[in-house]
Amino acid sequence: MGKVRLWDAPVRLFHWSVVALFGALWWTGENGKIDLHKTIGLVMLGLVVFRVLWGFLGGSTARFGSFVKGPGAVLAYLRASREGKAPTIVGHNPLGGWSVLVLLGLLALQVGLGLIAQDSDAVASGPLNHFVSYDTGDAAGEAHEVVFNILLLFVALHVAAVLFYLFVKRDNLVHPMLSGHKAFTQAVEHPTFAPAWRLIFSVILAAAFAGWVALGAPFSLEQAKQAWQAPPPSADESYM
Amino acid sequence: MKKHIVLALAALAASGTVVSAIAATPAETVAARQANFKQLGRAMKAIGEELKKPAPDLGVIRASAQSLNQAAGHVGHGFPRGSGPESGVKTEALAAIWQRPADFQGATRNLVTKAGDLRAAATSGDLNRIRTAFPAVGGACKGCHDNFRERH
Repeated sequence: MGKVRLWDAPVRLFHWSVVALFGALWWTGENGKIDLHKTIGLVMLGLVVFRVLWGFLGGSTARFGSFVKGPGAVLAYLRASREGKAPTIVGHNPLGGWSVLVLLGLLALQVGLGLIAQDSDAVASGPLNHFVSYDTGDAAGEAHEVVFNILLLFVALHVAAVLFYLFVKRDNLVHPMLSGHKAFTQAVEHPTFAPAWRLIFSVILAAAFAGWVALGAPFSLEQAKQAWQAPPPSADESYM
Repeated sequence: MKKHIVLALAALAASGTVVSAIAATPAETVAARQANFKQLGRAMKAIGEELKKPAPDLGVIRASAQSLNQAAGHVGHGFPRGSGPESGVKTEALAAIWQRPADFQGATRNLVTKAGDLRAAATSGDLNRIRTAFPAVGGACKGCHDNFRERH
């Protein structure tokens, strides 16, 4: 009964950081600020890696295991919803769980494509472009544009769903994503949350991974030093 | 199609600015100049990757600088009138190329100069010279793309 702590701070911070970075990446991509685009993209990489780790190490409402359900469960939930008999769910419902997976998966794919992509003159290229051929890098650059449009579509769907909940179902999902708390009219099981050391561990691991990728994923100390001392020639405010 | 591209490219190479006199369709002209830009891009990628290594392979850099230099020389001849967006062929070339021909040719000559510098640096084998000359070629690419290529 009453207010229940629903989303932990890492989940909320992740969510709103993605919103801000998504906008920044869109703008820098469209306006050819490629160096800035790459830097923000690497932060996005760190965020995505963190969210995946948190999906295994985080609190109960953050865990994939708690909200990723099979198609049968999704259909059953939809049927029950239509009849007004949907159970009260603390966390993502079966359909919302898939929305999380699809959005996170598309983000990961988009970041991955950006890492190996190159502009046709190969001055502006992702930090892992050297692992792929020129043609693959070219194709990745084109796919980066296609996947962005797919991502936009799913973001629009996500926002539409939130608005549907707000205005039709009279259920405000935005407020809990800001405050972390949600009021329930009946008694519910309270979520459990992860201890701080797991958060510290996940943040350090995600940041270290993003930093390693930023250096071009070196496999030896010598390569790492080279990448650190002689960063590739800057494409500056380039020409996407 | 491949044969046509090769022919059109040969025509570009041989004919200087009077490419339009040779019976290449706009589609062939666009395909040929794109293939030429890809040759440039491949060479840039190869050199950039060597320069990121602890011990760059001068052989690869020299061969790529040679290839880059050759392709750079063709760029200015790749845009005969009628091969722009108005031809209906899918191209990122902007109409500005034909509206400001002096600027465009200046930009392509800048590329030829910078590519020549890079080739000379590669021939000398002086890595410091190469490291200076390489981003200058990138700058020449940018100088042209900022004004004459569609942003996407």
